Amino acid sequence: MTPAARQIRENIIRVSQHSGHGHIPTCFSIIEMLLAVYGEMRHDPARPDWPDRDIFILSKGHASLGHYTTLAQLGYFPIDEVYSFGAHHSKFGCHADRLKVPGIEASTGSLGHGIGLGVGMALAFKLDQSPRRVFVIVGDGEANEGSVWEAIMVATHQQLSNLTILYDNNGSQSRCMPIPNPAERLAAFGCDVHEVPGHDEEAIRCALRAPANSVRAVVCHTEKGHGCKTLTDDMFAWHRRSPKQEEAARMLEELHASAV
Amino acid sequence: MRAQFKDTVTELAKTDSRIVMVFGDISVYLFRDFWQQWPERFFNAGICENTLVSMAAGLASQGFYPFVHTITPFLTDRSYEQIKLDLCYNEFGANLLSCGASFDYAWDGATHHCYTELAMLRRLPGMEVMQPGSKHEMDVLLRSQYANGKPSYYRIAHDEHGEAFTPEFGKGIIVRDAGAAVTVVTAGPILGNVLKACADLSVNIIYYHTLKPFDYDVLTKFRDTRMLVVHDAFGLHEAVMELPDLRVRYFGLPDQFNCFYGTLDDIRSDLGLDPAGIRQAVVKRIEEVQQSAVSPTVS
Repeated sequence: MTPAARQIRENIIRVSQHSGHGHIPTCFSIIEMLLAVYGEMRHDPARPDWPDRDIFILSKGHASLGHYTTLAQLGYFPIDEVYSFGAHHSKFGCHADRLKVPGIEASTGSLGHGIGLGVGMALAFKLDQSPRRVFVIVGDGEANEGSVWEAIMVATHQQLSNLTILYDNNGSQSRCMPIPNPAERLAAFGCDVHEVPGHDEEAIRCALRAPANSVRAVVCHTEKGHGCKTLTDDMFAWHRRSPKQEEAARMLEELHASAV
Repeated sequence: MRAQFKDTVTELAKTDSRIVMVFGDISVYLFRDFWQQWPERFFNAGICENTLVSMAAGLASQGFYPFVHTITPFLTDRSYEQIKLDLCYNEFGANLLSCGASFDYAWDGATHHCYTELAMLRRLPGMEVMQPGSKHEMDVLLRSQYANGKPSYYRIAHDEHGEAFTPEFGKGIIVRDAGAAVTVVTAGPILGNVLKACADLSVNIIYYHTLKPFDYDVLTKFRDTRMLVVHDAFGLHEAVMELPDLRVRYFGLPDQFNCFYGTLDDIRSDLGLDPAGIRQAVVKRIEEVQQSAVSPTVS
């Protein structure tokens, strides 16, 4: 785990403990994916509305705390502000509002909307003959939604090589309707598929840089709660639970131990 | 009216390169000239209404003016959440144009009927809701609203009311001010039947082509009269009722599926929304008002 990835996870634990909100395990599964995307995409924390920027959409919007803490790490806003997470007048809702938070391009929360939005944006960039790219993180649970696959079919039909889907294969649906072979399914829908260890930032970045003839899909094999034994041992119990002070302290210790 | 949509948009597209079509495999032959002229701006995207709306939101977010078009229930009922979240909550504007409501596809049965969308879409913050009653109204409203950055819904009808108004977005029209005790309030093409029904009746008539924003100034002028909302859909009655302390009756649709086929006129006739049925309802309302002079509890 890189220092940045560890710092972001620490902030997630602290903000969640302070606010009483947050889906920690699902945030922990995407930190390397987020760092890889922001490492590759054109963006400027000082100018969130820079007209030439690439676009990132967190379609699994309940991982917003992971997104906020990553944006804070990158300098979009001070981490102190994120401690208001979920509070009445906070900018930082448990699902992000693009009109409130710099760096948020789409307000998400209901699952299955992000790829369709990304399709429209990618089409717009093609029409404008712009080199801008669109990146969308979807969850494996979210991929139960038909609208995910509907949008992928449209995207591949429109040959949107400027659209990248990062598929967070964190096993969240093991008790419900798992999708055992996401890479095969995405390939069958016409995507250029890459499969990578989802906590290897450099491997993800390589996949994001590889040339693509169609929609690029990067299946990231991840772990809910990655870096904290407490979370990985019982991910369903912690799905939407915030740690008490002593639990948070234990998680921080585990995080440091796993980072060594 | 659908041909008018095509004519208006085709003309606008000549000078506005940000106009793009997002179609659900309907009216494609009608738009063949548009497609031929600007293939890069014509997306017959597929029979996938959720994605049509989401991708329109994405296009709008980058400064395009998308026109999403397909059959009413599939566009509005099926994709209500995409309209609510991707367009309205995100504040990405797009134009939604549906065909088939309420009973324009009468012969296709209840799966293709749609009469709740005007009421449902009115409830979405930021949404503009229009039910043009003529080709001219479609033309004027489309030109006026398509590029304002808001989500705008236009219901395209097969029939027209036959009147030549000078429409203005958001404004109701006083069709007749007879100084009468009863005011008939209506919207969309059904005005044609209302006018036939009321030809020799002493009633005032207000007509709406825009259901949101709703012109309460026009309504307020008649607030001391007894009102009868005649509408072959839901939405207008609810809009009228938002003005407090009115005395209103609704004559329109029952709380049940219409499981019959045939033509639009057949269905309207079944529902009493043909001129004869509307006349009966208006006469009843007039009689109620006359009785209220004796029994003031009648509202």
